Amino acid sequence: MDYDVLVVGSGIGGMESALKLGDMGYKVLVVEKEASVGGKMILLSKVFPTLDCASCISTPKMAATIHHPNITVMTYAEVERIRRDGDGHFEATIRQNPRFVDEAACTGCQLCELACTVAVPDQFNADMVSRRAAYIPFPQAVPKKAVIDRPGTSPCTFDCPAGIKAHGYVSLARSGEYEKAFNLVLESTPLVGSLGRACFAPCEDGCSRGSLEGPLPIRLIKRFVADTHYQSGVPLGVEAAEPRGQRVAVVGSGPAGITAAWQLALLGYGVKVFEAAPVAGGALGLTIPSYRLPGEVVAQDLGNVEAIGVEIEVGHRVDDLESLHDEGFEAVLVATGTPRSASLGVPGEELAGVMPSLQFLQASKLGQAAELAGKRVVVVGGGNVAIDAARSARRLGATAVDEVCLEARAEMPAFDWEVDEALEEGVTLHDGWGIAAVLGTHGVEGIDLKRCTAVFDEARRFSPTYDETVRQTLACDVVIVAIGMGPDTAAFSPTLDRRGNGALVVDPQTLQSRVPHIFACGDVVDGATMITTAVGQGRRAAYMIDRYLQGQPFAADQYELRVPRVDPVDVLRRQKSHSHKDPLGSGKALVAEPSDFHEIEAPLSEAQVHYSAGRCLDCGVCSECQECVAACPADAIHLDMQPQQVVASVASVVVSTGFKLFPADLKPQYGFGRFKNVITGMQMDRLLAPTRPFNTVLRPGDGRVPDRIAYVMCTGSRDQTVGNPLCSRICCMYSIKQNQLIMGALPLADVTVFTIDVRTAGKGYDEFYVQAAAMGTNFIKGRIAEIRELENGNLVLRYEDIEHQGALREAEFDLVVLAVGVQPNLDTKGLFGDGSLQHDAYYYVEEIDEDMNPGQTSIPGVYVAGAASGAKDIPESILHAGAAVAQAAAHVEAVRVGA
Amino acid sequence: MAVATAAVESVKARAFRPKILVFSTNNISDPGIDLAGSSHMHYPPEAMTIALPCTSGIDPEWIVHAFERGIDGVFIASDGEECAYLTDCAERSARIFDTAQAALRERGIAPERLKMAAICSVCAESFVKYMREFDEELAPLGPVGQE
Repeated sequence: MDYDVLVVGSGIGGMESALKLGDMGYKVLVVEKEASVGGKMILLSKVFPTLDCASCISTPKMAATIHHPNITVMTYAEVERIRRDGDGHFEATIRQNPRFVDEAACTGCQLCELACTVAVPDQFNADMVSRRAAYIPFPQAVPKKAVIDRPGTSPCTFDCPAGIKAHGYVSLARSGEYEKAFNLVLESTPLVGSLGRACFAPCEDGCSRGSLEGPLPIRLIKRFVADTHYQSGVPLGVEAAEPRGQRVAVVGSGPAGITAAWQLALLGYGVKVFEAAPVAGGALGLTIPSYRLPGEVVAQDLGNVEAIGVEIEVGHRVDDLESLHDEGFEAVLVATGTPRSASLGVPGEELAGVMPSLQFLQASKLGQAAELAGKRVVVVGGGNVAIDAARSARRLGATAVDEVCLEARAEMPAFDWEVDEALEEGVTLHDGWGIAAVLGTHGVEGIDLKRCTAVFDEARRFSPTYDETVRQTLACDVVIVAIGMGPDTAAFSPTLDRRGNGALVVDPQTLQSRVPHIFACGDVVDGATMITTAVGQGRRAAYMIDRYLQGQPFAADQYELRVPRVDPVDVLRRQKSHSHKDPLGSGKALVAEPSDFHEIEAPLSEAQVHYSAGRCLDCGVCSECQECVAACPADAIHLDMQPQQVVASVASVVVSTGFKLFPADLKPQYGFGRFKNVITGMQMDRLLAPTRPFNTVLRPGDGRVPDRIAYVMCTGSRDQTVGNPLCSRICCMYSIKQNQLIMGALPLADVTVFTIDVRTAGKGYDEFYVQAAAMGTNFIKGRIAEIRELENGNLVLRYEDIEHQGALREAEFDLVVLAVGVQPNLDTKGLFGDGSLQHDAYYYVEEIDEDMNPGQTSIPGVYVAGAASGAKDIPESILHAGAAVAQAAAHVEAVRVGA
Repeated sequence: MAVATAAVESVKARAFRPKILVFSTNNISDPGIDLAGSSHMHYPPEAMTIALPCTSGIDPEWIVHAFERGIDGVFIASDGEECAYLTDCAERSARIFDTAQAALRERGIAPERLKMAAICSVCAESFVKYMREFDEELAPLGPVGQE
């Protein structure tokens, strides 16, 4: 792409530069980082001193900029760097950020906004009201196209190993759209109810609310939407695609296998699942105890899979994978998990009464376990399975349950809360002990323990060491061994490669085995993990199998491309304050002597779901709930859009990046951000603009019409305490403008302006000031030392009344406006990576010959227009742009003739 | 607001409520009209809007066609002198306006059923005022084709 001039920024200075150059016949590229051109001027109420309507006069300029035949505008794009190349040109690298909306297809109808489930502060209304994640910047936006705001992926969604859009279903639940929330989870897995109970909820660990009062109960919200769906009797809301005529066999019906079967069936494949056990569901159906995950819930989840045509055959063990291919299955997925319990390898292990944990849990879940009434049980192991076994043994009536593990309590692999719950249910923990022998003659009579001194070696490898001299004996009748699980894959050899522990060897990205049509995933590959991790692997396997069967390259690096995880620090900074919302307490009813397998965790009530989902901070802004995608009549929304890099060659550059407003919370004595009725000048301009959010001037604290309004001038300007000695030039005039508009809008209001002095140099400016004073604005010479908030939201200003002997006074107001000043836009620092674009002492772009050649920067061919070089009002910016573009045009001509 | 409500009540009380077609422009007058709605301002609900890039692209035949299809009044919400495309947009639009009025006269349709005014991107209030006035002016003319 070749242009004559690159204009960076499309505020009034940038638009004016582009239009003048375009009118001269130069090809211009404008790069704007927001989704609309217009900068700050379009957001203002009126301009001073003429009181012309700012939007009426800037909208035509915005439209002209976009439609000019010589001007190309890239909105929602950023200049990453500009480099000088050899022949006098500049090479600009521009990042086109994805709008996630096809600009050509979007008509600006705003249906996506109506459908969007997320509200965040509206930066174009100075954060006074909210906007949606899917939004059109403001009514006069040019181009008037929607954009989906996705600064990052929400931590809850990003951290989910199953790829479930946690933020999405939370935001749908917040909107009361439980069925849609359920369907959103179905996009990833059919196991909604099971994960709502048995998931280890990494989403909650990542929840940004966790750094405030505590995370959202995200897992329980999922459980609520699942329960609501299953209780409603509403038929499944998703359908499989047209049958493709290809069949896939899935061996194993655990979370990985079932999820893969679901995904493949949705794509239109004929899927059959083979399960060796008498009950489907793998760990869900067999080993996770009913008090955590009732069998009916697993059955309901499996019902989803069957509803879209997946056949599940239980009691069918597959040993010969090749024969499946012969039966017409064009691909086979092995997801047999880790069904073998590791053994202790100590004397006495063969005694009656010693049993592997998985066998015990399975019998207990299927209601076939032997009564343990009156028995003393020892469970060996420190992981989650051991805890499940111990707590199940309590429920089967064991008089005493002792859990023995090598690790010290803090090192146990089981989740801390699970250990706590086991202890509350009367399990006795013996941590830091190994097993020397199981004692007994005909059956188990006791167990001999030896002190474990270390579980891991220096390299953190499992390598326990013991002090054989420290011993303890526990009397017991039953020993349940829960010291690990492994795959059962001997039968698959030599068809597939196996590791020493029996795990299958597959490509970690594509999950394809040595045999091209055989894939494997889940615990049979990874060793014992979490069910949610297995679900994620099942999804990946289904995607890869589909690519394989369609004869497409796997392109594994393109699988599930995500926007990077959002930084939680940025999330909390988005709002000045957050209301305090305590998390719900645990809904678990734990008793010391549990006697049955009733589910111990209570469901959330609808009110609790509403409250909890309302605590969501919408970290990634867009929740990926897909509502906009469904609502868009033009199918314009594509959430998988990626950033694009564009390189442009230009002969000259105009930097018109404008200014920033002083962040008023840096003057803490004024209380901005803490006191709701202290606002900034920009906020007042929004309250007065024709597109004002409340259609009148109201104070934010309680929506009352303010009677007494104070202005604090020079907030962040002429103030060494914030490092800015400069006058911002515009604050006096915009405040005087607002004074007049307020008196028009609220004829009864009293307006008082506290000043150092009033600076009104400019044609008609002083007359404008005199006019405001004549209309009744009260100007008081005196700096504000402090602002105090009263209980009714009113504010007391403390000041020194210079014109009355410097007396210290206080005055009460309903609303305080801080006339915030101008700050440099530091984005210009990075434009030329080599630092060749010089900045002045105040970090504005330096004009090296300010007196004689305004607009000229330290780099020949690069010019600065508008407030990027220092505070300017609108007419000054336009004049300055004229000066800059005249030089830019001369430079382009010089480059053209090779001078 | 009382005045506005009274105006709306007077329109409601009338048997004949003229159908008004508004031609707006994407970037300038349409946001202004949109703002009237989003600010909850009241104007006759029989007005409907079609947005175009530029009023100078209106074919006079469209206007005739609208009246033949039962529209009682056509309002062109133009950009005035602020068109983003053409410096002579206002003159062109004026010529289109004249041509259309002549065509209406030929067909015996009252030329005052066609009206044009500049509406800026935030001119919600003036748009509402125009709509109310136009509605009042059209009422005595009765439905199109029955003059």
